[in-house]
Amino acid sequence: MTVPLARKLEELLGKEKVLSSEADRLCHSYDATPLVSHLPEVVVRASTEEDVHAVLEVAAGEGAKVTPRGSGSGLSGGSVPVDGGIVLLTTGLIRILDVDADDLSVTVEPGVITADLHAAVEAKGLFYPPDPGSMKISTIGGNVAENSGGLRAMKYGITGDYVLALDTYFVDGSKVRYGTKCVKDVAGYNLTKFLVGTEGTIGIFTKITLKLVPKPRSKKTILALYDDILAAGRTVSAIVSRKIIPSTLELMDDVTIACVEEYAKIGLPRDAAALLLIETDGHPEVVREEGAKIEEACRENGARTVRVARDAAESAELFTARRMALAALARVKPTTILEDITVPRPAIPEMMAAIREAAKKYSLRMGTFGHAGDGNLHPTCLTDERDKEEIHRVEAAYDEIFRKAIALGGTISGEHGTGMAKSKYLPMMVGPKAVEVMARIKGVFDPQGRLNPGKIFRKEAH
Amino acid sequence: MGAAQDLSILKDAFSTLDVREYGDVLQCMRCGFCLPTCPTYRTDGVETQSPRGRVAMIKAVVDGRMDPTEEFSEHMYHCLDCRNCHTVCPAGVKAGERVLEARHRIEEHRPQGVVKRLLLEYAVRDQRRLSRLLAPARLYQRAGVQALVRKYDLLKAVSAGLSHLEAIMPEIPPRPLTESIPEEIPADGKEKGRVGFFLGCAMNLLYPEASRATAWLLSRAGYTVVTPKAQQCCGAPNIEEGERRVYGEMAENNVDLFLGKRVDFVVTDCAACGNELKSYGKHLGGRKRNSRYAGAFSEKVRDVSEFLSRALGPEVPFGPLEEDACFHDPCHLCHAQGITTPPRELLRRVPGLRLSEVPDAGQCCGSAGVYNITHADRSMKILAAKVEAIGKTGAHAVVSSNPGCLLQLEYAKRRFRTDWEVVHISTILRRSLARREDKGGSE
Ligand SMILES: Cc1cc2nc3c(=O)[nH]c(=O)nc-3n(C[C@H](O)[C@H](O)[C@H](O)COP(=O)(O)OP(=O)(O)OC[C@H]3O[C@@H](n4cnc5c(N)ncnc54)[C@H](O)[C@@H]3O)c2cc1C
Ligand code: SF4
Ligand code: SF4
Repeated sequence: MTVPLARKLEELLGKEKVLSSEADRLCHSYDATPLVSHLPEVVVRASTEEDVHAVLEVAAGEGAKVTPRGSGSGLSGGSVPVDGGIVLLTTGLIRILDVDADDLSVTVEPGVITADLHAAVEAKGLFYPPDPGSMKISTIGGNVAENSGGLRAMKYGITGDYVLALDTYFVDGSKVRYGTKCVKDVAGYNLTKFLVGTEGTIGIFTKITLKLVPKPRSKKTILALYDDILAAGRTVSAIVSRKIIPSTLELMDDVTIACVEEYAKIGLPRDAAALLLIETDGHPEVVREEGAKIEEACRENGARTVRVARDAAESAELFTARRMALAALARVKPTTILEDITVPRPAIPEMMAAIREAAKKYSLRMGTFGHAGDGNLHPTCLTDERDKEEIHRVEAAYDEIFRKAIALGGTISGEHGTGMAKSKYLPMMVGPKAVEVMARIKGVFDPQGRLNPGKIFRKEAH
Repeated sequence: MGAAQDLSILKDAFSTLDVREYGDVLQCMRCGFCLPTCPTYRTDGVETQSPRGRVAMIKAVVDGRMDPTEEFSEHMYHCLDCRNCHTVCPAGVKAGERVLEARHRIEEHRPQGVVKRLLLEYAVRDQRRLSRLLAPARLYQRAGVQALVRKYDLLKAVSAGLSHLEAIMPEIPPRPLTESIPEEIPADGKEKGRVGFFLGCAMNLLYPEASRATAWLLSRAGYTVVTPKAQQCCGAPNIEEGERRVYGEMAENNVDLFLGKRVDFVVTDCAACGNELKSYGKHLGGRKRNSRYAGAFSEKVRDVSEFLSRALGPEVPFGPLEEDACFHDPCHLCHAQGITTPPRELLRRVPGLRLSEVPDAGQCCGSAGVYNITHADRSMKILAAKVEAIGKTGAHAVVSSNPGCLLQLEYAKRRFRTDWEVVHISTILRRSLARREDKGGSE
């Protein structure tokens, strides 16, 4: 054990920024990913970009590994320090530097909490659309590193669609500032686009400029229940073919509906096979017209009931079921394993059927909910990590589900990232050549493999 | 806090956590949703100060991956037991309760200081004893010794009730309510039923007039009010400090006493007591004697606002009070008991009273039992945020319903020189009713 590492860091940064007790290390050994954890040697809470720089210098001198960490809400093990070393927290860089209402942009430090950013820009009548389910705790740095999506992705896109400029430190301590506030900017290779979604394996962001849009003036929420999941799937296609892009289009299956009703007793019929929650936003006139068309699409495709919210209060009520989904599922069994596949929209019914089959074949309790509008489904397994045999079956079931998603032209992760959790499937997903190209890129920035090791690229030994 | 005795004994203590408790710990999916509302995470911004971190530490100790060292114990005492985390956790993990369980395991296995034992095992068992203990406190407050003690933090070693009272000690009223309140107050008008009035230690000693108002209101609502002299402390300080033996004895005494009085409800005007009394069914579950009755007792327990919002029917005339007010939710009311609407409903019925919402309502004031003594710095940071939030409402009357919160907010008033009247909800309701009726101002 190299005790001097913590001491060196303390000398440079002061004691209060360096955490190295047993409890400190334990509390930074995990993120929200089930079944994975690893102890770091030391944890540093950076509060300025100079701190980040200093840590990288020390790490370079010592040959130490560095794993960046936001709030640790990641679902692919991204901030778990697989090889020990330093966990570098960027949660202390929390300044909102500039909300530019004239040029529709905002510049922040990476530790700003997503929901706090929303509040800050909405106070000025502006809108930052990406809204991951974890937005009350996730950091913008984590969002950019994972290229996070959210409920509004179908219409508004994901985090990467909003990143205009980044200040990034590489593992050798050098820094690149790339990007401008300009929406059009084609100077050289687009490093911003490249760095988004690199999961803390290429560089550490210290400043982030994001594009904003005007806040939509009105919205309408619709909830439709189905006796048949295929009918719900057809509705999704029917809405899109009516040339409507809702801001939200969420799906819940029968298991999820039953669990929600069991837990929250909000009056959902327990025998319903599927639920769609749809929202459209924009100019009041357009919203009214689109709302009517969506309602019609639901009815024509066999919805059993359709409810249209009359006001904000009712709209919030309709969202209850979807908001409760994870909580309801998470209470059933001790361990909740949530996956994140995505398929082309028309393939949703087939994918749902395959998930169901896998659950049945391996005798598992699995509920599926997700962002049907962009084909992003979260098959969620309710299990118990102490039951090793069942965990094996869970893995086997997900294996089949991933293969099916790929076969349908989809992907193994829509928004949670590759990290350590999905690295095994990456070659199958993108092909060995693409993985090799990625590894070469990684090698250019981090030849010694010291920045967030063990992620994306599968370690040889398992 | 003495050093943890013998590591191996403590390790054993944790390895016997039963399945239900361990299950709750396992249930944590580490989503982090509990971080942004946890007061200690908000002030410190590190995982060791978060519910998720606390659960992870407990799990590691139970699994034998981490030793229950002094550091672990300190982390368990950093929690305020405010239960914000219970309210937000999607998986139903009760991190606050698990922390109390951990404290219990720790305290069982280390020597307890004399003063702490005096308090938790002797004084709290009888209101008169507590009052007698306070007698010198009253004296020395007047004699100026208080300043000295505050300066040297002499009572830091003292646990529970007393030390908490000390640092932020208000003027202690000369006589506790138990000395003057009749055991039975008849219902005003036709009797609708009988309520047992559970008089918490701190209410009795420090806010007797507020509790007198509670009894008055209960009677005014049409209930005979029974206040048994032999009631003992609810046991919350013991639970907070990890003591469970005397706790169990006191709880059983209270269960027998109130059930014996054949009351329809047991009402308390202390949110912490209310939560503890409602937990008897659960906490006494493992004990042989009385465990059956504990559940029945807990079913009868109501917080004063919970009870009055129904019991004071629409016919009851509220008199006008021109007042800008806000309600500070005690953690043990909103998070532990899930009660937020009843106090607001009651206050809105007072004509002329303008009720505004405190931004980030439901955040702890930092009082939390003895926390403001044992962890003064943290407590002050948390309090400062609360003062700022209340300041934004422009309220003059800061209403609450828990003695710990009232003490802390009165202390805030002195320290931050705010222009508030900190007042128990019963006091303000009685004022309103009395104004309308002109009579009832006094009992
Ligand atoms: C209940 C729940 C719901 C969720 N819902 C969604 C959802 O709807 N959509 C979605 O996309 N995700 C969702 N997530 C996943 C997760 O919240 C996101 O991936 C989020 O962006 C992670 O942010 P974080 O601050 O917690 O980052 P962390 O988990 O701490 O880190 C994530 C990755 O970012 C890297 N990183 C962190 N900060 C920096 C930085 N400053 N510079 C470089 N790299 C950095 C880390 O190394 C790591 O690889 C959900 C998670 C949970 C638990
Ligand atoms: S909210 Fe609940 S499940 Fe999530 S991390 Fe906190 S305790 Fe665990
Ligand atoms: S009880 Fe309060 S202080 Fe303790 S972990 Fe929960 S939210 Fe934090």
